[in-house]
Amino acid sequence: MIATQRSVSGSSQSPRSPSSQPYLSVSVTDPVKLGNGVQAYISYRVITKTNLPEYQGPEKIVIRRYSDFVWLRDRLFEKYKGIFIPPLPEKSAVEKFRFSAEFIEMRRQALDIFVNRIASHHELQQSEDLRTFLQADEEDVQSKVSDVVLGKEKPVEESNPEYEKLKHYIFELENHLAEAQKHAYRLVKRHRELGQSLSDFGKAVKLLGACEGNSLGKAFSELGTKSETLSVKLQKEAHQLLMNFEEPLKDYVRAVQSIKATIAERANAFRRQCELAETTKLKEINLNKLTLMRSDKVGEAEIEYQELKAESEEATRMFEMIVRLMNEEIVRFQEQKTLDMGIAFHEFAKGQARLANGIANAWRSLIPKLEACSSSS
Amino acid sequence: MIATRSVSGSSQSPRSPSSQPYLSVSVTDPVKLGNGVQAYISYRVITKTNLPEYQGPEKIVIRRYSDFVWLRDRLFEKYKGIFIPPLPEKSAVEKFRFSAEFIEMRRQALDIFVNRIASHHELQQSEDLRTFLQADEETMERLRSQETGIFKKKPADLMQIFKDVQSKVSDVVLGKEKPVEESNPEYEKLKHYIFELENHLAEAQKHAYRLVKRHRELGQSLSDFGKAVKLLGACEGNSLGKAFSELGTKSETLSVKLQKEAHQLLMNFEEPLKDYVRAVQSIKATIAERANAFRRQCELAETTKLKEINLNKLTLMRSDKVGEAEIEYQELKAESEEATRMFEMIVRLMNEEIVRFQEQKTLDMGIAFHEFAKGQARLANGIANAWRSLIPKLEACSSSS
Repeated sequence: MIATQRSVSGSSQSPRSPSSQPYLSVSVTDPVKLGNGVQAYISYRVITKTNLPEYQGPEKIVIRRYSDFVWLRDRLFEKYKGIFIPPLPEKSAVEKFRFSAEFIEMRRQALDIFVNRIASHHELQQSEDLRTFLQADEEDVQSKVSDVVLGKEKPVEESNPEYEKLKHYIFELENHLAEAQKHAYRLVKRHRELGQSLSDFGKAVKLLGACEGNSLGKAFSELGTKSETLSVKLQKEAHQLLMNFEEPLKDYVRAVQSIKATIAERANAFRRQCELAETTKLKEINLNKLTLMRSDKVGEAEIEYQELKAESEEATRMFEMIVRLMNEEIVRFQEQKTLDMGIAFHEFAKGQARLANGIANAWRSLIPKLEACSSSS
Repeated sequence: MIATRSVSGSSQSPRSPSSQPYLSVSVTDPVKLGNGVQAYISYRVITKTNLPEYQGPEKIVIRRYSDFVWLRDRLFEKYKGIFIPPLPEKSAVEKFRFSAEFIEMRRQALDIFVNRIASHHELQQSEDLRTFLQADEETMERLRSQETGIFKKKPADLMQIFKDVQSKVSDVVLGKEKPVEESNPEYEKLKHYIFELENHLAEAQKHAYRLVKRHRELGQSLSDFGKAVKLLGACEGNSLGKAFSELGTKSETLSVKLQKEAHQLLMNFEEPLKDYVRAVQSIKATIAERANAFRRQCELAETTKLKEINLNKLTLMRSDKVGEAEIEYQELKAESEEATRMFEMIVRLMNEEIVRFQEQKTLDMGIAFHEFAKGQARLANGIANAWRSLIPKLEACSSSS
């Protein structure tokens, strides 16, 4: 869509440069801790580079915090029903973890992905709220958190077997994903713990080597040093596992939760459509009755009926639009997720193979030295 | 020494060549007996030998842990100066006490214990060893209940023991060393080395054990992860689901590898380290014995000197107590000479033992470390191969979707 509608008129580019493809690229960088105590928070620098005419110039930098991203997500969720709004990273973390370098980096990365997904979605990128988010001065952006409440399902439900299948799949997927992600996180933890133990072991064995002092002591020292080296490798791989595998899994979980929110919206729209259709029908019956009775309330009733009918038609349109958008979104989601997960698993297997290989080589290189030590004693 | 024995009187066929004397023992077949808190493990101890002191080429007896303790205590009493091989620890956390792994570790350690005694040129001649290897179970039980436990002693003996313990404690109170100590710089160096070694070894062994635990935990996590990912794969159902399932299966396979290696680590590395710790503690006990013998020698020498001075005094005074004093002096002098002989023997034996210990430990530890590095390399190699074999399949899955 973006290629056919927009022209590059009014851009501030040099007239001699070829008319470039329209682009909108955003990056979320430079997390900085501001404030004190319980009011402390992280602010990010959001840099927008674009040649689109709706934007104020080729580059704009603004400062945003997490609740600003939440505001954007909530506005988009309100306005673009049926579309799967990209997910945000979780709101809060355990207090002591909240300002750790790792958490800040993970969050920054997730926010960057969030904004870029919006900017590359053919519908969402045209949002005025997005433009506000990317350009408005800091005082103008309102931070409010509106919760999406998933209410109890009322008996008025679509009876669409394919849709039922989809809902069932989404709910089951969320459970299994959450389990897998939990265990993936534990795996990261175990890598770290093994690395730590290897480091402690290495230190203790080196002390032993210093105490012994003969060829046996030399063997101890070699073993200790090698253990410490491998401990570092393990910690590095634990970090890689976290960033390149566990995070994408977590991102998948959030995306599925976002879909559940859209499912709830669709249910709301369906209910509204049904209720209005029902009410309109009753109003029509009442109108006919009044007409037959030649009542003087006919005029009023006619106006009410027409208003209600318009609302009902609007509700039906809204519902049908949500259904249509959702169907497109499902396809997009599946494709994107298959791609993301394929990459994540690939990274996982490669990382594990690389780590294991490094470890195998390290121990193998030690074996001849150990043989030399024990035979020369 | 064992090579000097003759094979006369053996029950071998006259035509077979006179074989080298041998004594080989194995501790096998742990069996749980008894019920509840009285439950214990019994072992089958099989002795194969051609030594004349023994009853025939093969003998099988049933022994329990406290029988091994009896043997160790008897040898410690009789062979001062020699590093008695260490025993595995007495008790373990209740729930762990009958786990297959603990039973196997203990059996192995007891087997090593008896074999070290049987191959030590002094200790193998011990009569207590022969009793241990051959006596029937009732005799063994009688002996065991006589020796183990201080509470089996007669009250008078008990008092004496407590007095001795008290005097030992007052002698070696921390920070208030009595002046009666060897002033031997080389020996000081050795003691310092042993005490430092014990600390460092205990640390290293603690961390080696944690390493085993971490291997197990990683293996468990990998298994849980594999299961969860397989469920995910079943739920997805397309090529992505297939990738999930492959990953899950591979994780479970590797989990098994990790658990196996954790067990190997425990048996071939952590146990030898623990054994080293126990050996060093046994040496510390011998060091204490040597200190006792030195003190005894000094005290007796001192007392004998005083008695001599007193005797001379009485002789000059032409007292009628001279005869009595002479006898007492001679007795004390004999005791003093015996104490000196005992101390010198302990010193001599210890010096030989130190050399033997160092050589043996260097060998044992060299092997243990070799096993450690090989096991780790083998594990890592297996893991690397497993993941590498998965990568083309994952590539196929993601490209075909």
